[in-house]
Amino acid sequence: MANMIMASSRSLIRTSTTSPSPAPSQKLPISNHITLPRVQLPLLKNLSLQIPIPNTNQTLKSLSVLAATSLALAPPSLAAEIEKAALFDFNLTLPIIMVEFLLLMVALDKVYFTPLGKFMDERDAAIREKLSGVKDTSEEVKQLEEQAVAVMKAARAEISAALNQMKKETQAEVEQKIAEGRKKVEVELQEALASLEQQKEETIKSLDSQITALSQEIVKKVLPTV
Amino acid sequence: MNILLCSVNTFKRLYEISSVEVGQHLYWQLGGFQVHAQVLITSWVVIAILLVSAILVVRNPQTIPTFGQNFFEYVLEFIRDVSKTQIGEEYGPWVPFVGTMFLFIFVSNWSGALLPWKIIQLPHGELAAPTNDINTTVALALLTSVAYFYAGLSKKGLAYFGKYIQPTPILLPINILEDFTKPLSLSFRLFGNILADELVVVVLVSLVPLVVPIPVMFLGLFTSGIQALIFATLAAAYIGESMEGHH
Repeated sequence: MANMIMASSRSLIRTSTTSPSPAPSQKLPISNHITLPRVQLPLLKNLSLQIPIPNTNQTLKSLSVLAATSLALAPPSLAAEIEKAALFDFNLTLPIIMVEFLLLMVALDKVYFTPLGKFMDERDAAIREKLSGVKDTSEEVKQLEEQAVAVMKAARAEISAALNQMKKETQAEVEQKIAEGRKKVEVELQEALASLEQQKEETIKSLDSQITALSQEIVKKVLPTV
Repeated sequence: MNILLCSVNTFKRLYEISSVEVGQHLYWQLGGFQVHAQVLITSWVVIAILLVSAILVVRNPQTIPTFGQNFFEYVLEFIRDVSKTQIGEEYGPWVPFVGTMFLFIFVSNWSGALLPWKIIQLPHGELAAPTNDINTTVALALLTSVAYFYAGLSKKGLAYFGKYIQPTPILLPINILEDFTKPLSLSFRLFGNILADELVVVVLVSLVPLVVPIPVMFLGLFTSGIQALIFATLAAAYIGESMEGHH
């Protein structure tokens, strides 16, 4: 029924818009609904019904009265119908929003996501490198320390080796000198011993001669008259 | 006839009191088609806000970030985290899509709640969040559908359609139905939340304009933010689901 009223009132409203609005002459309180004809107009532009309009004045008057009453009766349901119709109203807005969204996605990607994302990743990588770099240098320091210790050890070993060698050399020299001295001493000893022996033999020899002399004297003494 | 007139009168009075222009759109003609102009205008404003703020803040990135750069870095980290959780290791190429989805819906919803659109009087209809229109939400939901189909097909080729008979072929009708319910639920969830919140706030403001609408406005801000997050997370989840390997 609301549809019928709508259909009839649409055709009638076209007539009422062509003639001066009968609303003020009506007793029903529709003076507040000045917006309503505006509400219905945009939709009517789409409908553009081609219903023949009766031309005589009388029919026009009666039709306008009818229009007013139907206007008064129908508006809330009409309004509800229009609202319902307009709430789920799919039109070209849908693909336009899709295109706008895709363009926005490309633009934001070029302006915001990619540059800032790259910057953040690079900064993260740099920080991580620095952190790991710090750890590495502490290892390097340890290595250097070990090297230093090793070098010290080597140096000490060298020194002690050199020392030992020097010691040995000097000892060898000392021993050599000692040996030489000993030899000299031995030689001298032997010479001395030889000379001693010689002297001994000489003395013995001298003693022998003395002994014989003595013995002859003794014999002479013992045997005086022989 | 009398009863009808009485009920009609009450309806009229209620209509006058609420003065809600639900379903009233400003129509523009483009070619042979109509568009909801108020949706386009507000969406341009949202896009302008997003692009201008992004360009201004991300111009010269410093190693120690400024306040604005820090905020945008936080947002990017958040979006990357959402994508990574839902999609997995190959989340990189999808960050712009999920991010733009989240940012567009979030800024639309909050602009509808916070910006004083009423200052601009339209000849018909009024300016509000672009997501309070079924066209916007269905457009975003369809884009999500296309995105997860594209993700699945580009990763698995035609073997993607094998997922309809996972885990058992008995579930084939349900799996096919899912391809329709996913965009439907996405679009209507967002549309219903935003439109209903706007309606509640407008009705409350016209009835008790002083203090009572304020908690509802805060609730509206909270839920609209959550709805943006939910939409983006679900979009990423559907993409991840189409891209994942064998169970």
